[in-house]
Amino acid sequence: MTGKQILRLTVNGDDYELLVSPRQTLLDVIRDQVGLTGTKEGCTTGSCGVCTVNNARGEAILSCLTPALEWQGRAVTTIEGLERNGELDAIQQAFIDYGAVQCGFCTPGVIMSAKAVVNSGAYLNEDEINDGMAGVLCRCTGHIKVKQAIRNVADFQKDQSPVNRSNK
Amino acid sequence: MLLPDYQFSKPATLAEALAVLQSGPGEVRLLAGGTDVIFNMRGRLFTPDILLSLRDLPELQGVSQLPDGSLSLGAGCRLTDLERHPQVKRYPGLVSALRAVASRHVRNMATLGGNLNLDTRCWYTNQTAEWRKAKGPCLKTGVDACHAIKSSPVCVALNASDTAPAFVVLNASAVLASARGERTVRLADFYTDDGIAHTLRQPDEIMRAIILPPPAGRMVYIKETARKGNDFAYATIAAWADGAGEQCSHLRIALGSLTTRPLALQALADELVANGMSDGAIAAAAEHVRGALGTLTNLYTPAAYKGRIARSLFIEALEQLRDL
Repeated sequence: MTGKQILRLTVNGDDYELLVSPRQTLLDVIRDQVGLTGTKEGCTTGSCGVCTVNNARGEAILSCLTPALEWQGRAVTTIEGLERNGELDAIQQAFIDYGAVQCGFCTPGVIMSAKAVVNSGAYLNEDEINDGMAGVLCRCTGHIKVKQAIRNVADFQKDQSPVNRSNK
Repeated sequence: MLLPDYQFSKPATLAEALAVLQSGPGEVRLLAGGTDVIFNMRGRLFTPDILLSLRDLPELQGVSQLPDGSLSLGAGCRLTDLERHPQVKRYPGLVSALRAVASRHVRNMATLGGNLNLDTRCWYTNQTAEWRKAKGPCLKTGVDACHAIKSSPVCVALNASDTAPAFVVLNASAVLASARGERTVRLADFYTDDGIAHTLRQPDEIMRAIILPPPAGRMVYIKETARKGNDFAYATIAAWADGAGEQCSHLRIALGSLTTRPLALQALADELVANGMSDGAIAAAAEHVRGALGTLTNLYTPAAYKGRIARSLFIEALEQLRDL
């Protein structure tokens, strides 16, 4: 019916100009055009959270419910963007250390949700962790180890925060 | 699976957006956070010719205090931003309602206007396009038939907005903008008994803001769900009162997610104002909740069970309100 448009999109710090149809979601563009297939397609209805990516503010959003053209001129971080200079992000390392993975399909969405939780502040209580993780489902291993991994990173952030260091 | 074909329109100002609504022909669907619209487009329940993106309209953003102490909430504000906003936190009952919506992921996208204008839903409309095709269409998809209540002349799909009952008891109003000008409608009057034309918003109107009266009184909000996070409600309840303890001179109670609209229980509330909110008076009033709800459908859960949930929520909410 309608023509495609040029979408200017920043993915993991890299700028792209892509010819995009209104029919494509952010998830479709990230996987099929940018070629980053770490972000998974699950329910496509906002229930499972495996398509979670982070917006420019480091918050978790669902790429399957976002029309790609809505993201004109915006930035997004996917699971591939967490590693820096060959070093895993603290949350990725914590997932390995705590074995917070089983089959791995949901892991990119779970980690991007967890990243958003630790981005949200240095002082996280149990409710805040649950709140940030309720929108993403792991059907293999459950959420206990995931929460332990988040707690580990959050506690480390807390130790590093200027307020705490000045109190020591 | 790709979305159905449509034209994407992203105006820069509210005036431009209202002009698109005037331009016709073709069905225009408003897009805010997209968490419900895109869901329904995937299911081919919505097949608009044009999606009109409201996401970045400056006129729909921001929270501001009005000269009379009321608070104006931009309809385009994300639920996450509202629940953390210092001015909104002065309405703790409302914060509970905002936090009850779906998951953090959804609230990082979904907007206030989107939640209040959420389309009604039932177990039939929630199915895939293939499933619905096998069953045949319904009132909502173009024929004179309801699969939820066979004999129903009108659509009985539920209003699943978690925040609507909270805004109703807070006596909030919606500001609706159109090329003709602006009008203000109380949220208590905004919803109808028809699951299709379920709000008073006209096709050429965009909800611009919600006006909240200055913070006052005490408020309770409860959402009953099968699962704690990321779920639609079996029922919600919001209750607001002035006064203290058992005594109040104004009490407003609204139940949500049971019918096509949030249900205000004003007669029962007035009874409790007269009798005081003692355990006995609350229990006596609770016996009339089921009758006040009218015909309930078996959508999601049996009607008899919904009646029991509504009665329990009524008692729980009013006891909590009294003890605040």
